[in-house]
Amino acid sequence: MSAEPLAARTRARDPLVARRLRRLALHLVLLVVSLAMVVPFVWMILTSVKTEGDLASYPPHLLPQHWRWSNYSTALSYAPFGQYSLNSAVIAVSHTALNLVLASMAGYALARVPFRGRNVLFLAVLATMMIPTYSKIVPQYLIAKGMPFFGGNDYLGRGGHGWLDSWWGLIVPGALTPFAIFLFRQFYLSLPTELEEAARIDGMSEFGIYARVMTPLVKPAIATVALLTFESSWNNFLWPLIVTTSPDKRVLQVGLSSFQQSDQNAWAYLMAGTTMATIPMVVLFLFTQRYFVQGFANAGIK
Amino acid sequence: MPPPSSPLSRRRFLGLGAAAASGAALAACGGPAPGSSTSGGGSASLRMITPIFDRADGQKLLETLLAQFKKANPGVDVQPDYTSYGKLNEKLTTSIVGGQPYDVMLIGVGWIPPFAKKGVLGDLGTPAADLSRTYNPRVVQAGIWEGKTYARPIVLDTRLGIYRKDILSAAGITAPPKDLAELKDMAKQLTVRKGGTLQRAGVDILSNDLRQTFLPIMWAFGGDLFRDGKPAFDSPEAIDALQWMVDIVRTDKIEDYGFSSTSAVAAPLTQGRAAMAIGHNDLWRQFEEAKPELVKDDAVAGFTLAQARPAMFQGGTLATVAARSRYPQQARKLVEFLSSDQVAPQAAQQRGNIPAVLSAANSDYVRSDKLVGFAVQNLDHAFSEGGVPQWLEIRDQFKPALESALLGRTTPAKALQGLAEKAKAIMAKDS
Amino acid sequence: MAAPATQLARSGRDDPPRTARLGAGPRARRGSGPRQSRLARDRRRTAYLMLAPATVHLVWWIGFPVAATFVLAFLHYDVLAGTATFAGLDNFRAIFADSTWNASIWHTVVFTFFTVPVAMAIAVVLAVLLNNKMRGRAWYRAAIFMPHITATVAIALVWMWMFEPRIGILNTALGWFGVKGPVWLGDPSWALFAVIMVSIWKGVGIKMLIYLAALQAMPQDVYEAAELDGASKARTFWSITLPLLKPATFFVLVVSIIDSFQAFDQLYVLTPDGGPANSTTVMTYEIYSKAFKEFQMGQAAAMSVVLFAFLLVLMLLSRRLTGREDDVR
Repeated sequence: MSAEPLAARTRARDPLVARRLRRLALHLVLLVVSLAMVVPFVWMILTSVKTEGDLASYPPHLLPQHWRWSNYSTALSYAPFGQYSLNSAVIAVSHTALNLVLASMAGYALARVPFRGRNVLFLAVLATMMIPTYSKIVPQYLIAKGMPFFGGNDYLGRGGHGWLDSWWGLIVPGALTPFAIFLFRQFYLSLPTELEEAARIDGMSEFGIYARVMTPLVKPAIATVALLTFESSWNNFLWPLIVTTSPDKRVLQVGLSSFQQSDQNAWAYLMAGTTMATIPMVVLFLFTQRYFVQGFANAGIK
Repeated sequence: MPPPSSPLSRRRFLGLGAAAASGAALAACGGPAPGSSTSGGGSASLRMITPIFDRADGQKLLETLLAQFKKANPGVDVQPDYTSYGKLNEKLTTSIVGGQPYDVMLIGVGWIPPFAKKGVLGDLGTPAADLSRTYNPRVVQAGIWEGKTYARPIVLDTRLGIYRKDILSAAGITAPPKDLAELKDMAKQLTVRKGGTLQRAGVDILSNDLRQTFLPIMWAFGGDLFRDGKPAFDSPEAIDALQWMVDIVRTDKIEDYGFSSTSAVAAPLTQGRAAMAIGHNDLWRQFEEAKPELVKDDAVAGFTLAQARPAMFQGGTLATVAARSRYPQQARKLVEFLSSDQVAPQAAQQRGNIPAVLSAANSDYVRSDKLVGFAVQNLDHAFSEGGVPQWLEIRDQFKPALESALLGRTTPAKALQGLAEKAKAIMAKDS
Repeated sequence: MAAPATQLARSGRDDPPRTARLGAGPRARRGSGPRQSRLARDRRRTAYLMLAPATVHLVWWIGFPVAATFVLAFLHYDVLAGTATFAGLDNFRAIFADSTWNASIWHTVVFTFFTVPVAMAIAVVLAVLLNNKMRGRAWYRAAIFMPHITATVAIALVWMWMFEPRIGILNTALGWFGVKGPVWLGDPSWALFAVIMVSIWKGVGIKMLIYLAALQAMPQDVYEAAELDGASKARTFWSITLPLLKPATFFVLVVSIIDSFQAFDQLYVLTPDGGPANSTTVMTYEIYSKAFKEFQMGQAAAMSVVLFAFLLVLMLLSRRLTGREDDVR
């Protein structure tokens, strides 16, 4: 856009040159923006292979003086990261699967079935999205602790530790995000009524229409919710930290935080660990991104 | 819905717990806490939270130590919960609110008064005089509240003066500054600027937490945090101390605001961008890792900050027992174990910190780490923060007030008086 | 991602299905024969069943905590001693007597302004640029979205180095243009701005993706007509693209407000303890600090209640914004 005047001036003379110039300007702008976006990642990766001496040098060197790739293996030996990653993956996959099912059902009902109080319910869902984590963490902890019949609790939730330090506590509270309901609702809302009505005339049940007619049409929503749920679950730190006590239920982000010390950070290892934790997310995005942007164009046509 | 309303319904329950705890305090064998059936010497499962063994080497060490403990105390099982100081409060709060505090809690100095006052901690039953045979008497004081012992120290950390011998001797200075006035004169001489840009600060006072930098200076000037339980950090001595800091940044231009910060990757002292610093003793570790030649050439050493009196900031991690622990006796044994001659030095070494036990003063580790060694020699000049139950709330007010003064937005006197007002309001609300 | 936005764009255009559905609510169907009403009842019953798990979950894990917060706001609750007494409005009086809290409200307003409307404007521009068919588009898209998928804590630490006043990459770059950069995170007048920059950087990708999706679903014939009329690119953007994007904007707005109010990690890492002279305390940070650093649960709850009120106003505003949009069409 910045090359607009230049492009305008040349347009009269040679439309092809003008087009070329504009394209060049566009690429330049996008290149600069993209670089600005990835610079922190590049820095993170460069830091992850530096030595302590390198980190402390002043003025700092952009590139490591000595590429110490062993930072990665050292970082891995800091904690059982294999176990942590597995835990994170199990939790993220469970969250994603549960969220897809629960939120799509709720989103469908809110979008396609008329009933009294629907708008109020939708507004309530919107409201629940906006409550900051630290406002609800203590009550949620108490709820998890007081789950009746679990972890030695009686029917009133007394006496034991409930869902604390258990897979239940790690998985169930985060298994549904109001954001996913909202997103699914917006998707279902946009689908035409014809298909739904045709299916109804064929005698299909409402649940059948949801499961077999409408949901296949919102694949982009599924991809979106899946990626965002997986990503936020993978990167979640506070709840897993608070709800777990035993090392075998710790997750990746909690493990990474052990590189951060109140007095001194283990910078290189922290960056190496974070780089490794980020790679799965990047791969996931690269594999799914076409669904978000290209896939929806099809959804629009249907 | 039991959980959300539990603050109310738990009230009686907790009151009972607190009462039982204070009652149990005097009982030699540890009176039974509510709901306890196994308070004897038999089997127990202890939950313990620790912010000082959170690194991989720390975890390994603690596991070895706990295996030894288990061998000596068959049937007592310990489940450690590793966390860092950064997230300790979240874990403590939720566990206490949830009515399930850890049996053994390793916490910082500032936590003791509020936790002791509110009945979270159980009396350890060892008089201060007895502990003073094992630890430096000044260090023992941090664990005492209203005459009772609630905590035993494990590791200590200090903030002290640190100087680069190589830089000082290059400027013809042979000894570290004997007081803060001389420190400033030296620092002026050692500051290097090129075209207005600061190349080397004579003394670096910005790499360490601002409150923990200010307090030892204040103590050195003869100030106190509290006198007779009332805020005293707006005393003339304290104002002089803050003025001393402000002058370094604003008048004498020894160090520019923003030259360093608590989150800097490496301290200016390590990089040779500062000749002296007020810093944490664990800087030694940074020297070892990033600039080993400094250690090899014996180029860094500590000094006490002195003016009206010598002073050093001392914090630490102490071991405590929850008042509501179901196994008070075993928990106490674990606390004694962790703070013992054999165990505490290992914990300290793993953190680059100071072992609290007197017996470690001549250990190889203390002798090899010059800053730790210096701190051990000078523990008699150590002062600790805290002392009132509201300290955790008050301490957070320090940083913005000190920053305002350093930035020239307000005078040191006004900054500290405003701070004292705030502290008084907090203390009045609570009593 | 784009889909919701697209569909919003579409539902804006041909809303009849939706209005028809609304009109065909329980009451409207009542008179139209027993078969119809039985169908409507069956559909409602299925809908309730489909909503049930989500509703129970939300009430249990969010509804109860929010209710508890409202109760706590009116109690003197001593976490450590475990005692609670009725406090009336004491907690509210206490927090509003605190200049730090009052400042944090203002910081929140500033933060929200830059991370919601301003960031959305940047996202629209990026989306329009990326809407051109060109080589490397997928890479640009991925690069702009990347910040969203990384854990904030570590990447915020990297930003901290980039903000380093002397040797950080930002001030070095400014130095090339002869500008002496500020101390950023150490300067009370710049610290909040620095944090805002990181937040925009982190959140702009997802906003861009949603807009991009909406753009790609737009009817091409309008653009062709505009081009025939000789309208300039800028004019086309203002009079065709932006109005068509309005429905998608509701979605982006909601996403942005959430991001903005959940923003905590980058603030906490970049400016621990509220920044220089408390210049970056936002309401969420104050809530955290009161509850977990000072153990004042009652006051923290009162702060949460104020924050809820704040959010409610925002919610109604954004609803009003899109509600008007629906009326126009």
